[in-house]
Amino acid sequence: MNRILVAALAIIGVAIVFPPRGFAGGPPLSEASDLLKRSDLTRNAWETYLNRTLIRNYEDGELKDEGAFEVSIKGDSKTLVRFLNPDVKGQYLLMLDDAMWIYLPNTRKPIRITPLQRLLGDASNGDVARTHYAADYAPSAIREDNLDGTPCYVLELNPKRDGATYNRIEYWIDKEKVQPRKAEIYLASGKHYKTIYYDKYAMVSGRLLLTQMTILDRLREGRKTIMSFSDYQSKEIPEKYFNKDYLENLK
Amino acid sequence: MNSRRHILILVAGLLLIGRNCLAQSVEYRGAIVDEGTYTCLNTTTPLNNGNALIPQPHWSNVGTAALMMSAGAISGTFGFSTATSNLAVPTYRASIHELAADLSLSENVDVVIGKKILKWGTGYAFNPTGVVEPPRSPSDPSDRLSQNDGRTLASITAFIGKNSFTVVYVNDADISTHDFRWGTSEIAARAYVFLDGLDLSLIGHYRESDRVQLGFNTSYVIGDNLELHAEVLGQRGSSLLYHPVILSDDSQQYFTANPAAALYADSHTLFFKTLLGGQYTFENGINVILEYYHNDEGLTGREWKRWMNFVTFHNGVAQTPSPSEQALAPLSRANILWALSTLSPRGSMRDYLFARGAWSEEKWGLEAIAFVDIDDGGSMVVLPTLSWQFSSYVSGYLRGEGYIGASGTEFGSLFTTASLTIGLQVHL
Repeated sequence: MNRILVAALAIIGVAIVFPPRGFAGGPPLSEASDLLKRSDLTRNAWETYLNRTLIRNYEDGELKDEGAFEVSIKGDSKTLVRFLNPDVKGQYLLMLDDAMWIYLPNTRKPIRITPLQRLLGDASNGDVARTHYAADYAPSAIREDNLDGTPCYVLELNPKRDGATYNRIEYWIDKEKVQPRKAEIYLASGKHYKTIYYDKYAMVSGRLLLTQMTILDRLREGRKTIMSFSDYQSKEIPEKYFNKDYLENLK
Repeated sequence: MNSRRHILILVAGLLLIGRNCLAQSVEYRGAIVDEGTYTCLNTTTPLNNGNALIPQPHWSNVGTAALMMSAGAISGTFGFSTATSNLAVPTYRASIHELAADLSLSENVDVVIGKKILKWGTGYAFNPTGVVEPPRSPSDPSDRLSQNDGRTLASITAFIGKNSFTVVYVNDADISTHDFRWGTSEIAARAYVFLDGLDLSLIGHYRESDRVQLGFNTSYVIGDNLELHAEVLGQRGSSLLYHPVILSDDSQQYFTANPAAALYADSHTLFFKTLLGGQYTFENGINVILEYYHNDEGLTGREWKRWMNFVTFHNGVAQTPSPSEQALAPLSRANILWALSTLSPRGSMRDYLFARGAWSEEKWGLEAIAFVDIDDGGSMVVLPTLSWQFSSYVSGYLRGEGYIGASGTEFGSLFTTASLTIGLQVHL
């Protein structure tokens, strides 16, 4: 009997000293998924919409490159990115479920690509095309933190779909406003890959939406990418636009 | 096509799009490219000894302008090119690469009628299942000079969720003369399904008075870095023209007329074209593509040797004829030309390896391509390219070509040994 009591006390002691991460000063892990879904609304206010995305790439503070894109999103699994820069005009990126294709006007056919292939500078295709984190990642832990004076929940996210862009994310969500504030991205090897700051939000058609995020490259110091989002509009987009074989019909 | 008719059709196409523009917004993009090339010639090859049989230029310059316009359902790609070299006076050409109407019959059914480029494969350098696509060079798969022409076709596609089904009728009718003539009819169909991350297309093709071809292509991504793809196309027999010397060890034969013949026209043997490939992206952004291509219609190493022995023999007669062979020299030159006509500019042998590595930073990019003939001991073409982005509108590139291989090998026997190209591209 004493042995059972000692074992029970030991387990309780271990649980107090090393609590499960879901209980480490935050809401239970079961609420983290809902938190993630609500924070996604700051990037996906409508079921079907499009926006204009501008990517600026800097090295040691100097602007090196910039690219403009029109991004059409339908649900949490369909994204079509139209490239607007003169040198890549007519190029499209299609994301469907976990798969991605790039359509190059010169080769005239969609080419299957991997999530790691970059769009421009330090922005991965997924930074533009995969904006529904709740669909791509599952929270495995939650804690609280204070980020520059703002109380935040910190979610540890791991991919739940093959097409998720990153292997592991630490994700800071503003406790009060339920807005993403910061993300630390890690490669499968464990290397610190990127830091993302969700810098600016603005009211668009009565909804608070993300309008700027900054990506710092942790593998190559001094490099950063600023992504700006504008011209958000809710718009019905035909289903066939998200069919791989329709890419050759897009102008 | 005579240039006056070309220009008339080009103007008609622009007017057609222009008329549509009144009601629709117009989209356009274009590029002007100019590139100069210096070439080191292979003057010892028996295929073109002393650069005498088919003279090749030491330097050349090509300028092209391509404009893609679309308004509503009508879209077209129009081109203008000029070429000059140390051997030829400048030539000019106006082209309509594409001009087609894309009509939506319903929300999920589209019809395309006109001249259009259709590509169906998943491979990078080779596309055996691209049964209705225009021919292209494996050394320039991206068509940097915008020289590819569409084919005259009518197609109907049903988009069913993530899947699609297409039937296309192709007929490259001859509109170059006043007597309009229909060309050979072709019909092709493709059923595409996207299933659990797997792209799969089943392809069928029939060309009038020829044989049925059936095949498939597929692609799949594993993890964050690796993409795999494959294409297979099969047919019974072959309509390809071969030189009969590939079946004979007697290289000292003379033919008095072009002997090229479809040696396997009545064969019941299955001929397959197979492509297996993949691409891998490293964490630092370097992208590597590897492809293996097998073509049952290509020459084996032994058949190539017989072909080479035949050409080498006739080159000997044409270059240094013995007194008794003096009268045969012109016939030997003709025999070399007939033999050359049975080679394919896209590779004549059975097995090839293709490798491409590419790395780009903000302003510059580096690409290296190697194209290796496996059947002749590894002769190869190497193509390094350095490109530089001056602005969103202007870019430049420096491109080398090197042909490596012992004498008697496929790439060691080509007309050139190396070339260097410098190009400038302006985007509109």
